[in-house]
Amino acid sequence: MNDEELLKNEKLKKVLSPHPLSFMNYQSLCIFLIVWGVLVGWLVNFSEFRGMFSDNEWYPILVWGIVLLVIGIIASLITVRWSIFFLYLAIFLGGTGLILWQGWIKTSDVFIPFYMVAVSIIGFLLVEWYRRSHKYIISDHRIVFKGGITVKKERTLRYDKITDINAKQGVIGQIFGFGTITPISQSGFGLGSDKSFVGGGVQVGGEKKAKIFGLFGGGKEIQTPMSRTYYELHGIHPYKEVKKLVEEMVQTSVITPYQQEQVTSQKEQVDLQTQMRDLLKKQMDTNEEDQEDGSKEDS
Amino acid sequence: MDDLSIDVILFAPLAPMLGVLLFWFIQLLFIESEKYLLTKIRPKHEPLCRFTNFLGVLFQTICHALGYTVTKSGVSGFYISVNYGRVAPKKEKKGIFEWVANVFLFVGPFFIPAFLLLICLYFLMTGGFDISIPAHLTGMEHTFAGQLSIFGTSLYAFSKGFFNFLSNIDLLHPGHFGFLLLLIVLGMGIRPSHIGEKTTEKVDMIYDLRNIWRLVTLKPLYVVILFLFAYVFFYVSFFLDQGWYVALFSIFGWLSIIAIVALIIADLIILLIKTTDEITGFWKLTPYVIMLVSYVLMRILFHYFPTDFINSASLAVMMACTVLATYLILKYRTNKFKTKKKMKLFKKKNKGESDE
Repeated sequence: MNDEELLKNEKLKKVLSPHPLSFMNYQSLCIFLIVWGVLVGWLVNFSEFRGMFSDNEWYPILVWGIVLLVIGIIASLITVRWSIFFLYLAIFLGGTGLILWQGWIKTSDVFIPFYMVAVSIIGFLLVEWYRRSHKYIISDHRIVFKGGITVKKERTLRYDKITDINAKQGVIGQIFGFGTITPISQSGFGLGSDKSFVGGGVQVGGEKKAKIFGLFGGGKEIQTPMSRTYYELHGIHPYKEVKKLVEEMVQTSVITPYQQEQVTSQKEQVDLQTQMRDLLKKQMDTNEEDQEDGSKEDS
Repeated sequence: MDDLSIDVILFAPLAPMLGVLLFWFIQLLFIESEKYLLTKIRPKHEPLCRFTNFLGVLFQTICHALGYTVTKSGVSGFYISVNYGRVAPKKEKKGIFEWVANVFLFVGPFFIPAFLLLICLYFLMTGGFDISIPAHLTGMEHTFAGQLSIFGTSLYAFSKGFFNFLSNIDLLHPGHFGFLLLLIVLGMGIRPSHIGEKTTEKVDMIYDLRNIWRLVTLKPLYVVILFLFAYVFFYVSFFLDQGWYVALFSIFGWLSIIAIVALIIADLIILLIKTTDEITGFWKLTPYVIMLVSYVLMRILFHYFPTDFINSASLAVMMACTVLATYLILKYRTNKFKTKKKMKLFKKKNKGESDE
């Protein structure tokens, strides 16, 4: 953060970025691509099963694609994100397209491992680029969240607007000392919802009969601390230290009930003093008027 | 009636038990050495130590949960972190059930990781899983000496197969490479206690032994019942003329051997990390690079000049190169292996270089 961006009397406490391993969910997708690519290369070229792939030049591509897509479906179902499946589908279609376009069908056993390693390296670089686009600035007034590769997003949160702090630390986070802190504002910023929905359809009637179609379903929604990585302190290191700092800053910025009582009491005292001052002033004015009247009468 | 001598009735069942106890004690010694080495590298490798702690805690917690499941107490809560694990039972069962669950907690971490490795080995190893009674021992298989010999023979056959597999491990084979990784990772987690973040309490071999001893002395009757079960099992095997009893203990022996080997390999890796910590700059990474490069080069060489011992020779060259490189770097880049005079010269030279 530039000095120009700092507010008057604002002091910078910490400038943070997510830990390199904090985007492991994305990185693990790339790790799988490398492992599966190497495994395909070994299976087709060196393993005792290599004879199975020599019958048809399409077999290596088929095995490679089926496993890739099945893993994509499983990962999508577990994480409830279909983007993983579509990503793997795109990788498969891209690779197959390249093989057909360049006529590398006979050398697919060599192409697939190299292609997978190349794709995963690109994946790692993209994840790293995304990670580096994040910046969290903690000052004594507020927290500024910055992120986004093409569209730059920024969120500023004043400590007195924070109602709740959610913190989480996974196993890798516990090992490497990083974690995620999600400050929740009064407006509910930092909260998301987990939705589950069940639906079913019924069709009644044969081919020649009138058909009745009914659809029924139900769902439920749970509010949970959840936010985009550039709207929360995602994977910050050292986790414990930052968490303590944020909590202390919130604590010093938020008025406690006792402090509230003190403020009300002081306000009442000020009001009382103002009333007394007015009364005194009024009394003094009356006295002065009386004196003036007295002196006029004397003269 | 000759067979039903005091040897068969009283001493024969003890033979495999003592064998397992001996191996388990050796395992405990290696666990102690691993913990010592981890404590030494802790300041510079905090995440690695946390990771090994997590593995240890994970196995402890799984074993405890397994104990509650076996005793039908059920599991209502399961919590695990890097430094602490907790399992809450659904039903608070006292007496022998609680004791069995605790036995799982204290003894399980010694054998469960090794059991996972044994399952992998079953698919990778070509031989060595022999629990049959050797021909020359027929007729005396239910005596103390016979039981001990069968136990020893079984362990010898397994060790031979296992070491043969390890010395011929193909690091370019995904299955073999995965097994080696698992062996190292689990080797770092085979222990019933963790290294605390603060050294307020000494958590060592004595601590582990004390826990187990407390378990034994707290309810001696249960230990007697456990022995009785073992004896009954032995007599059943004896009357049916089967080798079930010694076979069961042989499997425990195999698990101990796997655990000891895993611990030795993990110890060697931690030792390498500890040694390279003394080296500064990019030289620190050299032994690891040499380890990788030498193996790949040897495999390429043997690809063009094939022999019968490709894997073992590549492994031997890799290990020799790594040790030699580490020694040379230590000798020429640090104060190690130097006399006082040479150390002074080295300091002077280094000072000169930094001034320039």
